[in-house]
Amino acid sequence: MADDGTTSLADENTALDEALAAEHAAVWGYGVVGAALPPGERAAAAAAEAVHRDLRDRLIALLAERGAEPALPEAGYALPFPVLSPVDAASLAATVEEGGVAAWLRVLDRAAERSSRALAMEVLGAAEVRAVGWRTAAGQTPVTRALPGL
Amino acid sequence: MSSPPLPGPRTFSRRTLLAVSAAGLAAAAAGCTSSPPEDERNAVTSEQADELAAQVAVQETLVRAYELALEADPALAAATPELADQAREQLDRLQAAAPGSTPEATPPPDLPPPGQGQAWLRAQVAVAATSHATAALAQTGGRAALLGSVAAGLRGHEARLA
Repeated sequence: MADDGTTSLADENTALDEALAAEHAAVWGYGVVGAALPPGERAAAAAAEAVHRDLRDRLIALLAERGAEPALPEAGYALPFPVLSPVDAASLAATVEEGGVAAWLRVLDRAAERSSRALAMEVLGAAEVRAVGWRTAAGQTPVTRALPGL
Repeated sequence: MSSPPLPGPRTFSRRTLLAVSAAGLAAAAAGCTSSPPEDERNAVTSEQADELAAQVAVQETLVRAYELALEADPALAAATPELADQAREQLDRLQAAAPGSTPEATPPPDLPPPGQGQAWLRAQVAVAATSHATAALAQTGGRAALLGSVAAGLRGHEARLA
């Protein structure tokens, strides 16, 4: 029984596995983002990629600890649009972060354990801040969202 | 063999990156019911209902802070026209998730100091975001997701106001 007394961990583990799949995709996506940015502008992408690698590793460890089979990365991913310029790269990074926000919001929705909700909250705010930065770099308006992920 | 898409918002429901049904989350956040597991997650205790009503009050205070700051600083209002509207949208969603609540919003603790409206407003936003994020930990299901989304959105506002 989970600590909220109502739901099992199965739903939560499924949501965490979906978040892991999102983190695998984010790590891959930031590789594309970095490659499309001039060398002097890659620091933010590198930092974000490191964050997603860390989250990926934490999720793999957590799911393995629970006896669940962690999702593996896909052999390849298709870009949602061509990434041919720094602006395209920023748009892709915003898309990656929006995807992560949605996945982690699903964790909040399905979490049985308070610790998992805490992890999701730790991730969500930082991801939206990164998304605001990338939307700004991409020239998108508005750069903020009232309800990211919903 | 084709690669799976690296999804954007419109393809979140398809595969790898995002299996989220935004509509499902939104319905849950509004108190709608569906399958039994989701019913369980969205079952609300009186304590959770009270806490959600308190977050409505927190958001009402923030909406008032936006009004005060933007009235005091037309330049800030012109530079960030979307933020106040988004704060009100968040309030609408919280009110919809807490029907019948009668929160007692408190006014912001002070008025924006002349010439410092942006920093003052950013501080008010940070307080509300932290409050919603903390409250999300004690909620379950769609209510937790809604509070988490509002908190994340306000972190974005903080970044915009930096």
